[in-house]
Amino acid sequence: MDILYLLIPLSVALVLLVLAGLWWAVYHGQFESVEQEGERILRDD
Amino acid sequence: MSKFRPAAPVDTPSAQPSPAAAAQTSLLDEPQEWSAFGRACTQAGQGEPANPLASPWESHVVLDGMHCAACALTIEDALKAVPGVQQADVSAATRRARVVWNPAQVLPSQWMAAVQHAGYRAMPAMDAFARAQRLRESRRALWRWLVAGFCMMQVMMYAWPAYVAQPGDLTAEMEHLLRWASWVITLPMVVFSCGPFFSSALRDIRLRRVSMDLPVALGMAITFIVSSAGTFDMDGIFGKEVYYDSLTMFVFFLLTGRWLELRLRDRTAGALEAVMNRLPDSVERRTGDGSFERVATRRLAVGDTVRVLAGEAFPADGRITAGHTHVDEALLTGESTPVARAEGGAVTAGSYNLQAPVEVLVESTGAQTRFAQIVALMESASLQKPRLAQLADRIARPFLWAVLVAAGLAAAWWWPTDPSHALMVAVAVLIVTCPCALSLATPVAMLTAAGTLARHGVLVRNLQALEALARVDTVVFDKTGTLTRDAMAVRSVHTAPGINADEALSMAAALAGQSMHPVSRAVALAGAATSGHWRATDVHEEAGRGLVGTLTDTRPDGAPPRVFRLGSALHAGVAAAGASAALQAVLSLEHDDGSVSEVARFELAEDLRTEAPAVVDALQRAGIAVQLLSGDRAGAVQRVATQAGIATAHGECTPQGKLAALKDLQLAGRHVAMVGDGLNDGPVLAGAHASFAFGRAVPLAQAQADFVVLGDSLALVPQTVMLARHTLRVVRQNLWWAAGYNALCVPLAVVGAMPAWLAGLGMALSSLLVVLNAARLSRSLPALPPCAATAIAGNSAVAALPTPDSDLPVATRPEPA
Repeated sequence: MDILYLLIPLSVALVLLVLAGLWWAVYHGQFESVEQEGERILRDD
Repeated sequence: MSKFRPAAPVDTPSAQPSPAAAAQTSLLDEPQEWSAFGRACTQAGQGEPANPLASPWESHVVLDGMHCAACALTIEDALKAVPGVQQADVSAATRRARVVWNPAQVLPSQWMAAVQHAGYRAMPAMDAFARAQRLRESRRALWRWLVAGFCMMQVMMYAWPAYVAQPGDLTAEMEHLLRWASWVITLPMVVFSCGPFFSSALRDIRLRRVSMDLPVALGMAITFIVSSAGTFDMDGIFGKEVYYDSLTMFVFFLLTGRWLELRLRDRTAGALEAVMNRLPDSVERRTGDGSFERVATRRLAVGDTVRVLAGEAFPADGRITAGHTHVDEALLTGESTPVARAEGGAVTAGSYNLQAPVEVLVESTGAQTRFAQIVALMESASLQKPRLAQLADRIARPFLWAVLVAAGLAAAWWWPTDPSHALMVAVAVLIVTCPCALSLATPVAMLTAAGTLARHGVLVRNLQALEALARVDTVVFDKTGTLTRDAMAVRSVHTAPGINADEALSMAAALAGQSMHPVSRAVALAGAATSGHWRATDVHEEAGRGLVGTLTDTRPDGAPPRVFRLGSALHAGVAAAGASAALQAVLSLEHDDGSVSEVARFELAEDLRTEAPAVVDALQRAGIAVQLLSGDRAGAVQRVATQAGIATAHGECTPQGKLAALKDLQLAGRHVAMVGDGLNDGPVLAGAHASFAFGRAVPLAQAQADFVVLGDSLALVPQTVMLARHTLRVVRQNLWWAAGYNALCVPLAVVGAMPAWLAGLGMALSSLLVVLNAARLSRSLPALPPCAATAIAGNSAVAALPTPDSDLPVATRPEPA
């Protein structure tokens, strides 16, 4: 069970990393006009 | 601005103005910028005065940082405290404010600074500005919500072992490690997600007042402090219990509720904004040498010629000088079918050019356009506080104080047994109460209804009228004209022997096309469907009597040109046809020797709107009595009433008579809605409980009615009545729900029967339920019963006109002696 002493702090670090990723996604417009980007691949031009 | 400080708190990145924003604000003090977000309060909007400083200005601003209805009151108070600000109305639902201020005493930057001082931000309601602001705000809301959701899941993972472990399974070290990890994950959530709650609570404390964020922020702070103490000081006064899971969960529920609420509210505000954002920013204007240059729409003047490309909106009211196209006027009239506009046709600012580029001669700009009048109407209506909403607002503030006191008392009661539990009970009380639901219940429903009506071409001038309209049990049409079309229509054609009815109609139409008299227009319209191979030349009109002109057959083997007369029997030179009540027009041929012979007679009648019988039927089925009061001749009124299915009709009424009849009805306890044209029946409309005006031909600023119908369909009247009834039902449901929820949950929380996470869920759901319930009103207008629906489908002017070869009764009269 000693491995938990490594894994739990590691999971904390991972969560913070994911939060940083979410920050990037939100503030770079990844969640805006979601449908439009999905349709882009179906268009000819 | 010298007050600018670069150090902004991390959770409110835009609370301080950037240097660019400060420059923007001081730029707004220049008089030529004022018209971009407001207008001078001159009589009936007659343009801007020569000296903009002479009269007060009415400006509109978008507000940032508002969370609840109580904030609206705070901003109103702050604005009204500025000397020179005459009036300030703030709408919580659209987050906009209308400020009337006197340029001689105060400048926009000064009252905007007052708003900022109260802890909010005001921006002029110009589109680009507001749209960027909206984007930033929605991004921030999403980010907070994502942080809360993600942290909640992870904290739950760390909390789980403590729930399932048997005594002894979990070593003290391991438990401490899990708590420490929970603390680290909860910290970003408290900083980012709870930030807005804390900052607005701090603002409240500094300004010594309460708002809805204060109890919530207190709850969050207490939970976090108790849990941190349990983590780092297990032997302390708060014991070793931690509540990270409760904290993260209720923050997540709360933010979910807020976020959904924000989106729904944006959709409601969107109806308003869709109208306001219609005008293009710039437009191609013809210069002296005939080329086109792009200029700002605001710089357009009457007399300019502009080129509007397909897909663009028209920037001003005007007339097409070159080209022809189809335009979409759906937003201005509620009519969804595109309308054809040829050279000389009038176009309205805010409608879309769908097909081809056209050149337009500008006839009115800015505040004089029909579009600007519509926007002004919608804006002032959306800022009104209906009676029920004012009541709720008055209750909300003492209610908040009561909640704070109740939480304090509950904590004091439980403290001797267990300080930690006592604090958590107080937290539950603070969080579970939801005055938001109470404050939102009325305005959100009424604004949603107003938005739905606006989409269908009915402007609500007065939100309060929705309440009155829902109670109406009598509808009075105060003009025959509201049930009939403005124009007359050809009912039947009687021709001399040997003459084809189509041919006669075609000849008459060629002549009639040269005149604007209502009878001529009716004949021309009826003849439009015929072959039309006649050409009229040398046409003279004798005012009020008829036309004389030469008709030429344009077919190669056609008859030689001959002189024809069209008009009254006297004008046409033939005997009047007995005592026929209907209006007649006679077409006669003038021979070379001066004698005339009759060719055809056209009987005309006022054209009942096709949907009128169905509308009357729908109203009666809804339990509403229908009456007709009119100043027209009794016979004509009776005929129209019979056709429309109205039992009670009075003709030859004077305006005083109408008013007296209305008062009699009201004395008898009836709730009366009046339907008129809103122009010269003002007193009658004003006297009714609720009033409709058909604003198609009327300057909107003068239409003195609660509801202005922009479209042409009479069916909108029963539909509006039904929507009003539905709206009031929703408002009542909302108020009952909000009151019942608080009455049930606050006592539960006080006795300690409600954990914090459940309290958070309850509050979020109760707010959300109110908004979602109101959102039901935005779906569409209630449909009329089936028989009505078919009549409305064929409601366009051309389709309703009987064509000669279909249903027009054609009779051949014997040659008169």
